Amino acid sequence: MKDLVEYIACSLVENPKQVRVNQERVGGRIQISLQVARDDMGRIIGKSGRVANAMRVLLRVAAARENKQASLDVIEPR
Amino acid sequence: MDEKTTLEMIAPTVEEAIERGLDQLGLPRDAVDIEVMDSGNKGLFGLGGRQARVRLTLLPYGIHDSNKKETTTVPELKPIKQEPVITAPTKVDYNDPVLDLVSNVVRELLEKMKVNATVSASYQTNKEIEGEEKFILVDIQGQDLSILIGKRSETLNALQYITSLILNKELGRWQPIIIDVQGYRNRRERQLRQMARRMADQALQSGRRQVLEPMPANERRYIHLELRDHPDVITESTGEEPNRKVTISKRSNN
Repeated sequence: MKDLVEYIACSLVENPKQVRVNQERVGGRIQISLQVARDDMGRIIGKSGRVANAMRVLLRVAAARENKQASLDVIEPR
Repeated sequence: MDEKTTLEMIAPTVEEAIERGLDQLGLPRDAVDIEVMDSGNKGLFGLGGRQARVRLTLLPYGIHDSNKKETTTVPELKPIKQEPVITAPTKVDYNDPVLDLVSNVVRELLEKMKVNATVSASYQTNKEIEGEEKFILVDIQGQDLSILIGKRSETLNALQYITSLILNKELGRWQPIIIDVQGYRNRRERQLRQMARRMADQALQSGRRQVLEPMPANERRYIHLELRDHPDVITESTGEEPNRKVTISKRSNN
């Protein structure tokens, strides 16, 4: 699941080296957090969150294949 | 084109299987030999049915064998227009770098989503729009792919959106693409057009404005297109995404 997010993020940003994806299990859910360079935030979120939401839809399918639930958070770079 | 080429297609009905096959080959019906291998079984309300399977064999150019014409008729709710649905395939391009690129992106995404399917891409032309719009059709075939369509084709549209973003970034220009799964988009288009007609009749009979269920933009478009030349009704989209709906109302004569 992590690699799906990673692939999409790296393909869309200008700075693929700064893409960080973390996968954590919280209870029965999988939480994936994505961090990209500040300049790339817009590319990953999109207008009204359209890109991030499309990633969530695809992530949901990937998770469902393993009978799991997953969520995606885009984290503000420090 | 190689004259020995054959293509096997599986779809819910024989008619659809043939249509899809022709679409993929980019050929008219009389350029191929159609062999129905399994006419399928509809099942109850489309459940538990067996899929139809046909084999298309390319005929050498110019030979039209009228004896081999398809004779299976498929019951349709209400045949509206018998023109080809949306696409007029131009040609099948093999080893086109852009087609390879987009197929690979989709393959990569599907693999990472753990979805097993085959992906093919071709250039298509949309005849309905003036000036002819050329786009890439990415076709996904496989078993149990309803998961790729999702509610209100949400998943399919997400896949299409992400793929087009990746492709456009890679190419540095805007290239329209459409992703289809098992002929879903054509099937849905036909459904939508039929529904448009039905709702237009209802709007006229009842005199009341008909509000359709919320749909994504590409689906609303078919409703507008189907009724744009209708003399007695007007269509309009209202509301905000993702709950934007088409309304059909009687044209006021003044």
